[in-house]
Amino acid sequence: MTAVQRQGGASPAPVPAPQAGPPAPSGGVRPGLADVRARAAATPPRKGLRRAVPSTNSGRIRAFVAGVVVVLVALLLLAWNGVDDARTGVRVIDTAGPQVIATGDLYFRLTDMDAQLAHALLVGDGPAHKDDRQQAIDRYTDSRSRADEALIQAARLARDSTERQTARSLLDALGRYEQFAGQALLQDQNGPVHSPGQASTQVTKLYRSATDLMKLELLPQAYNLTLDNGTIVRHTYEDKRSAVLTGRTIVVVTGLVLLVLLAGFQWSMARRFRRLLNLPLALTTVAVVVVVAWTAAMLGSEAASLSKAKTDGFDSILALARARAIGNSAQADQTRYLLDPERGDTYEQVFQSKSQTVLYLPADNLAGYQDSVRALKTLKTGPKDHPILGFLGAEGHRPSSDAKALGAVLRGFQRFQANDRQMRDLAKVKQTGAAIALQTGQAATDYAAYDDSLVKLAAVHQTTFDKAMKDGKGGTQGWQYALPIAGLVVVLLLVVGVRPRLAEYR
Amino acid sequence: MRTRGTRGLTFRALAVGLAASAALTACGVAGASGSSVATKDKLIIGVYADQPGLGRLSGSTYQGFDIEIAKQIAKFMHVKTVEFKTITADNREGKLQKGEVDLVVGSYSITPDRKTKVSFAGPYYVAHQSILVRASDAAQVTDVHHLAGRRVCRVKKSVSFPRVQKERGVPVVPVDATGYNDCLTKLVAKQLDAVSTDDLILAGLYAENAREGGPALKLVKTSFSDEPYGVGIKQGDVDGCEAVNKAITQMYQQNIPGRLLQVQFGSSDLDFTWTVPQFEGCE
Repeated sequence: MTAVQRQGGASPAPVPAPQAGPPAPSGGVRPGLADVRARAAATPPRKGLRRAVPSTNSGRIRAFVAGVVVVLVALLLLAWNGVDDARTGVRVIDTAGPQVIATGDLYFRLTDMDAQLAHALLVGDGPAHKDDRQQAIDRYTDSRSRADEALIQAARLARDSTERQTARSLLDALGRYEQFAGQALLQDQNGPVHSPGQASTQVTKLYRSATDLMKLELLPQAYNLTLDNGTIVRHTYEDKRSAVLTGRTIVVVTGLVLLVLLAGFQWSMARRFRRLLNLPLALTTVAVVVVVAWTAAMLGSEAASLSKAKTDGFDSILALARARAIGNSAQADQTRYLLDPERGDTYEQVFQSKSQTVLYLPADNLAGYQDSVRALKTLKTGPKDHPILGFLGAEGHRPSSDAKALGAVLRGFQRFQANDRQMRDLAKVKQTGAAIALQTGQAATDYAAYDDSLVKLAAVHQTTFDKAMKDGKGGTQGWQYALPIAGLVVVLLLVVGVRPRLAEYR
Repeated sequence: MRTRGTRGLTFRALAVGLAASAALTACGVAGASGSSVATKDKLIIGVYADQPGLGRLSGSTYQGFDIEIAKQIAKFMHVKTVEFKTITADNREGKLQKGEVDLVVGSYSITPDRKTKVSFAGPYYVAHQSILVRASDAAQVTDVHHLAGRRVCRVKKSVSFPRVQKERGVPVVPVDATGYNDCLTKLVAKQLDAVSTDDLILAGLYAENAREGGPALKLVKTSFSDEPYGVGIKQGDVDGCEAVNKAITQMYQQNIPGRLLQVQFGSSDLDFTWTVPQFEGCE
């Protein structure tokens, strides 16, 4: 405020303007005003942009007020835009996220159809296995209808002709698959009653056609369609999160501009009207600070909610859904290994490759891999450690992953691999009956427990997702009213602040 | 001059502030796409120069299945110019990381280890390990286990030989060779009995041998591994990876890869897959 104190004595800058002269003061000449008028007469008219700069007090006040209102409106619009981005982000992820996860279920259901078909054909139709076979057929039927549902959902999410064609092609292949499956079951039923693992060559051939179709056409396209669907969530997340964060920076910068403008206004008023503080104007400044800080904090927390929902929620849920589907398909490869020994090498190799997709440990062969799996103590890795590769390894590398649920998953996976070793050892010494009994008995129970542990781990992330979405929705609640009201308050305070000064010129 | 100075400052601050906001907005928009291959008009694609049937440089032109696939990918990505550069198994990761090539299409199997260094779009084809023998041995070798006691080609750094010896546990006798072309020479010269690697490479050797009028060979129809051939791309270019996947999907919807395989390898009587493989995913 030194400028204000020294103002009287210092020679003020010549700031006249040829037009927009002061409104003729009706009563008396105030100090300072005479000076201005004298200078206005003495200085030559200015050119260019400077002509636009008002030189009188009232003109200056009006210009400042106009400037403040313009920047304020810009600030509110930008804040509104940021809020809108945050809302769109939350809304799209909240609806598309679960839909994408539902289409991920398609892959799981398809692998389950093929697994159940193999199971039913493996155990045969002898009286001792009647219930087991019926159960497999029932589960096949159930998975088929759920696959249909998931496929319709996925088709609905398809965004362009390429994705729609994939969905159509899936429907077509599913129809052909069901035909093969039906024929294989019928042929098996009409043929002579056989003991487990003794399906006829014809039946095995029909099953090969079915499972090849599944492996080569259905599963790849189903998986790819889910990947395509998943990009909706990723794009929305990346676009909206960066828009919200950019919005926050812009709001802060615009807010600072507004504050500088208000401070300049204060200073100018203080100098010209010799008042140290204009209270309403000071309150306007405070109100602007509050609006900017509040908006910035809200946008920051919206971005954090989006990030949490995407990385700690959605990504994990989707990765675990894939781990579940691929695991289920690996389990079916065990059944196929027993059902069709001629292709045993292939089925064993793909079992290993699928297991390594779920949890990667380098190994020369399946036995070596299974030794490494047995020796593994934990899936959890620190932020600076090398992550274990594969779906479960990636899950263990997330800082947010639940150690207890992860432990249960690892133990389940270890049992799954240990049972596999035992089953193959039995099959290799031609104890096929015992191998099949293990595979359809204890190993099946253990696998179900492992699968269940994956579902539980996914549920932890589902909770994270739901909470982040709730926070995201709650964070912007009421902002459509709060922003205009805040704007009105600022304008009112401004008017209250400048009205008495302007009145002096009427 | 103080008065005007103050006001000038305020107006200038306003101008600078608004300009800064505008600049930030611009950054936000531009930063999203960056240097993704999805937005490039010209692509530099790394390919092999010495794999018969897949990628081979003769004179100044590259030929083979991988080359045709690379051209198709570029076509479906609406790329105007494509330039090929020779890569080797040793330098393909480095060339991608340094940005010397945009994509690598060269019988590049996707493995968890490699995925820590580069990203993969595709696979555009899943090859299977198979066996090539002299026609006179074809009756005895119909399965990988029948290789027991036979002399099998071993190429340094290739995972194919360990797959037979360690993964399948077949007691074979290794005969070292410098590359698969060398394996073919030695097979023809009876210095070894079998070559086992990806079926597409074997089919390429088979066709090469037939062209040069070599003795009759037989490609055994056995598959004991899945080798997903991916399109290598700089790590983290998710948009580019998705664009390549879309191109591969469209290519398969028009049956193009199947026809290309038929042209390149039809003579070997190999069973091809005509449908799109399961992608790895881009994230």
